Amino acid sequence: MAVLKWVRTLGITLPIVLAAFSARGADTVKLGLIEPFSGPIAAVGRDTLEIFEFFANEVNQRGGVLGGRHIEIVPLDNAMNAEKTTQQLRKVIDDEIRFVSQGVGSNHALNIIKFLMRHNRRNPDQAILYLNHSAVTTSFTNELCSFWHFRFDANVDMKVAALATQIGRDPSARKLYMLNQNYAYGQAFQAAAQRLLAERAPEAELVGDELVVPFGKVLDFTPYIAKIKASGADTVLTGNWGPDLVRFVKAAAEANLDVAFYTIYAGIPSSVAGIGAKDGIATQLKQVTEMHENDALYDQQPADLLDTYDRWRQQTGKSIYSERMRWTIEYFAAALDKAGSDDPALVAAAMEGMAMEGPAGPMVMRAADHQIIFPMVISTMTEDVGRPFIYDGEDYGVAFATDGWIMSDAIELPTTCEMKRQ
Amino acid sequence: MLIGRLTPWIAGAAALIALPHVFSSGFALTLMSQIGLLIVFALAYNMLLGQGGMLSFGHAVYFGLAGYFTVHYLNFIYEEQVPYIPVTLIPLFGGLVGLFFGILIGYVSTRRAGTTFAMISLGFGEMVTALTLVLVAIFNGEDGIQADRVLGEELFGITYGPNIEVYYLIAGWCLVCTLAMFLLTRTPFGRISNAVRDNPERVEFIGYSSQRIRWLAFSLSSFFAGIAGALHAVNIEHVGFEQVSVIQSGLVLFMVYIGGTATFVGPIIGATLLYFLQSTLTGVTEAWVLYLGVLFVGVIMFFPGGLAGLIAMHQPIWRVRARLLAPLLIPYSRFLAALIVCVLGCIGLIEMLYFRSSRLSTETELVIYGVESDPFSAGPWFIFVAAAAIGAFAVRKTYPSAVSAWNTAIADARARPPG
Amino acid sequence: MESIIFAMFNGVLYGMLLFLLASGLTLIFSMMGVLNFAHASFFMLGAYFAYQISEGLNFWAALFVAPVIVGLVGAGIERWGLRPVHRYGHVAELLFTFGVAYVIEELVQMIWGRVPVPYEIPELMSGALFTWQGFDYSIYRVFMLVVSVAIFVALFALLTYTRIGLIIRAAVSDPVHVATLGHDIPRIFMWTFGFGCALAGVAGVVGGNVLGTEPAMAIQLGPIVFVVIVIGGLGSLGGALAAALLIGIITRLAIFYDYGLGSLLLSLGLEIDTTGLLRDFTRITTAQVAPVLPYLMLVLMLIFKPRGLFGTRDV
Repeated sequence: MAVLKWVRTLGITLPIVLAAFSARGADTVKLGLIEPFSGPIAAVGRDTLEIFEFFANEVNQRGGVLGGRHIEIVPLDNAMNAEKTTQQLRKVIDDEIRFVSQGVGSNHALNIIKFLMRHNRRNPDQAILYLNHSAVTTSFTNELCSFWHFRFDANVDMKVAALATQIGRDPSARKLYMLNQNYAYGQAFQAAAQRLLAERAPEAELVGDELVVPFGKVLDFTPYIAKIKASGADTVLTGNWGPDLVRFVKAAAEANLDVAFYTIYAGIPSSVAGIGAKDGIATQLKQVTEMHENDALYDQQPADLLDTYDRWRQQTGKSIYSERMRWTIEYFAAALDKAGSDDPALVAAAMEGMAMEGPAGPMVMRAADHQIIFPMVISTMTEDVGRPFIYDGEDYGVAFATDGWIMSDAIELPTTCEMKRQ
Repeated sequence: MLIGRLTPWIAGAAALIALPHVFSSGFALTLMSQIGLLIVFALAYNMLLGQGGMLSFGHAVYFGLAGYFTVHYLNFIYEEQVPYIPVTLIPLFGGLVGLFFGILIGYVSTRRAGTTFAMISLGFGEMVTALTLVLVAIFNGEDGIQADRVLGEELFGITYGPNIEVYYLIAGWCLVCTLAMFLLTRTPFGRISNAVRDNPERVEFIGYSSQRIRWLAFSLSSFFAGIAGALHAVNIEHVGFEQVSVIQSGLVLFMVYIGGTATFVGPIIGATLLYFLQSTLTGVTEAWVLYLGVLFVGVIMFFPGGLAGLIAMHQPIWRVRARLLAPLLIPYSRFLAALIVCVLGCIGLIEMLYFRSSRLSTETELVIYGVESDPFSAGPWFIFVAAAAIGAFAVRKTYPSAVSAWNTAIADARARPPG
Repeated sequence: MESIIFAMFNGVLYGMLLFLLASGLTLIFSMMGVLNFAHASFFMLGAYFAYQISEGLNFWAALFVAPVIVGLVGAGIERWGLRPVHRYGHVAELLFTFGVAYVIEELVQMIWGRVPVPYEIPELMSGALFTWQGFDYSIYRVFMLVVSVAIFVALFALLTYTRIGLIIRAAVSDPVHVATLGHDIPRIFMWTFGFGCALAGVAGVVGGNVLGTEPAMAIQLGPIVFVVIVIGGLGSLGGALAAALLIGIITRLAIFYDYGLGSLLLSLGLEIDTTGLLRDFTRITTAQVAPVLPYLMLVLMLIFKPRGLFGTRDV
């Protein structure tokens, strides 16, 4: 937050500071956004904030919700720390914010889900609804599912299902090497891939399956590159993200390893910046997303949406990356209007089963587990064609090109959720 | 005499009881609860750094491991796999976990003192952090482990569901641990620990093993760190790898050092101030880590005694006669005014630099000190550079007179008989 | 086999990069008694300066200019930061450098942002120098190896055969006597610190484009460098080299010979626990814990040989 309320803070007493944080307009619908806005991965949190504020503003410009009320995004910094997340949730209760969103870090998402389960049970008249825009742990919509949680991103299993389906279609993917981060998410990716590849890409053989210590601890990936080369693999499948992906891809490119990389998170701006055009193109880096700007379907979107996209690029100097965050806002606005109230329980009920037009056909918020279902697209990093990848006004010299769409029926997986509705 | 000694403790207890009635919001309660357990952690850490002369970059290991075991124990109680312990006493269990690991790891690491000890502690810190991510069955990786602290009614119908009850749990343990650690400094062990810090060779001459003393101090410190870790687990109902990480260890080091290592109250001041600043500033500026780092470096360079050390410097003066502090007022306020101008100028510059490098398009204006400042025009830069430069110049000018005022005052105080 | 040779080549390379960092650190430590916690931050500064210079000029200018700037920054920090702290003892000095590491990381983010910067391998050296048994050995990696070996040789020669080296070695072992001979010890300290930082800067210039230039790079590499100098023996240049290479090679062997406790127990005919809380210990393999192995080596070393491999004094 660059808007510094220094004058208030310098009067360094607790009540003044607390008052400063809670003094806000009364006629808005507040959505608390709990993300890291400081610390090492603040860039991710701040990008999220920008998207939320931009698209909330779009809704407000259209006339707002509930007959003219505006959506207000309230940023709450958790500095990527679990205790701060809890602390911010208590502030959310103090400030009578009834809706929160979060997505960076599934550990924080888990915290919020468990916290709200307890809080909403103990205080049903102060219930809070959680809109999860990016945390992908599958169990949130399986055994941990909750009436107060909605997910607007595909879960790990769905993303792996999309990748496995595409690998099944790809005749050059015959020998697969899998490498993942050794923690809950990476292991979930590994387990899902082992299961789904057997089903959907039976001709592809798994020639390697590796787990590595996560979060930037591995500085040099060349031993893995040597193993991949020795295994004769033609395709790498990895759930890695952040520095663990960047270093892996760069090491492969530098050793002229002739493989294609199937990933989930190659398109995150900091990863694109870290990998660079040359190495990304050399490794045929692929990502699975909800949409990308160079797909043929892009130009078939409604005119006002295209107009919004143009304004986004112009204002922020950034490519459209996270459609799911826009959907979170759109669903929120639509559910508020449908419920005709800002009561979280009514909004949640309105959101269940709600359908919207997505980029490649209808998408639906499945009522059984509050998991959104939508078609996904696999795309490969190529040279600077069509709409280039830009971030902070800088052209990174790459673009993404579509390999194929995976329709909803191929992504929709059964759920074990037994939803308790109050 | 006894009453006089008990006064600060009674006042502290009264303040702990009264605080939640003044600040009753959920945010304030969580903040105060966190500060309470961090005070325990900081005091435990100062048993090493201040009293034992051991600089550790990995003390969060005992804090965090105790948290993990506590959360597991709570969950096992739920599943009725282990004997029941009331939540009121669960911090003691955490303390024993800390003690166990303190004895184990301390045996290896306290063989050396000084810089080597610091490096070993860093090595253990890195290793345990990595293991918490890799050993998924025990630590559950990045997600950490959740627990429910409500196990049923205990004495007087307390369930620890409401935050206020947890606050009083933490306040109670904080008071007990603080008292225990204070008394520990007054025992022969506390004294010999100081001696090991100052001159291990002589300690050996009078028949003690300095390594044993370090080991004992380390183990006891880990015990109290474990209590703090268990309280943290009960307060947040979650433990993750952040709690054992080197970042958490660094934070407690910052708290203790900025507060002051030489006095008993230093860590209390440091923990309170830093955690309060951290919790409130994160929402205001993204540069707070930089400010924290600069504050830390500044304290090391100019006030190695920390904030408590600054206060303690004046103790001999007001012990004699409080009125002797009066001549300090003007030179001190001149110096402070200069410092504030300089700091405000620097903060303005830093905020503008941050705004220029990482501004979001939805943030269209930068408001510093209530005034909109455009970091892309020369005006604000000129003003802040001028403020920083003039302030820095004035700081240099006024500092000697502040120092000489203190020198005069202390000489005055020494010349007079105590009365 | 050929893949092992390829991996070993990279292990040696990584070890040499660690050595570039460790040599400066151990030089500073043995002379001043200061464990420079911010050493990896100077490595990071080297990479960022190199990026900035190669944007404006080219890589070769960066290779020579960036370490000099890093060295000057280091000397400045010693002169105006560390020297006043010296009188409070070594722990205060260590704490000071710890704080400096925080400040540098934040300043880097303030200037270059929180996203990695695209610091690339120079176009000229991006190809393969030769292909051996199916593996490409890139020009740049061979160049890195040459640079680091050259620096090791030069450093060794400097300390052994020159007058400056003689003074430095003397100041390491007995600063008081060297001062009585008329040498300005604070000045020597300042330039030693700057020189050590410049060595870290060189590592940043040649390693930043391979490892990735981002604000977290210092904190990820820093602890390993401490491990290197403790295992090698504090103050020993040869020890630092041996330890750096050892770590580079062992972590690679661990990835290659992917053994686990589980398979060992199975081969002994024992039943293993696959469901309980301890299942991780039987499931885990050496490859999965490779990055943790240096710390394990550190602990073992301190238990069995506290002086390190070639240490002459007790740490």
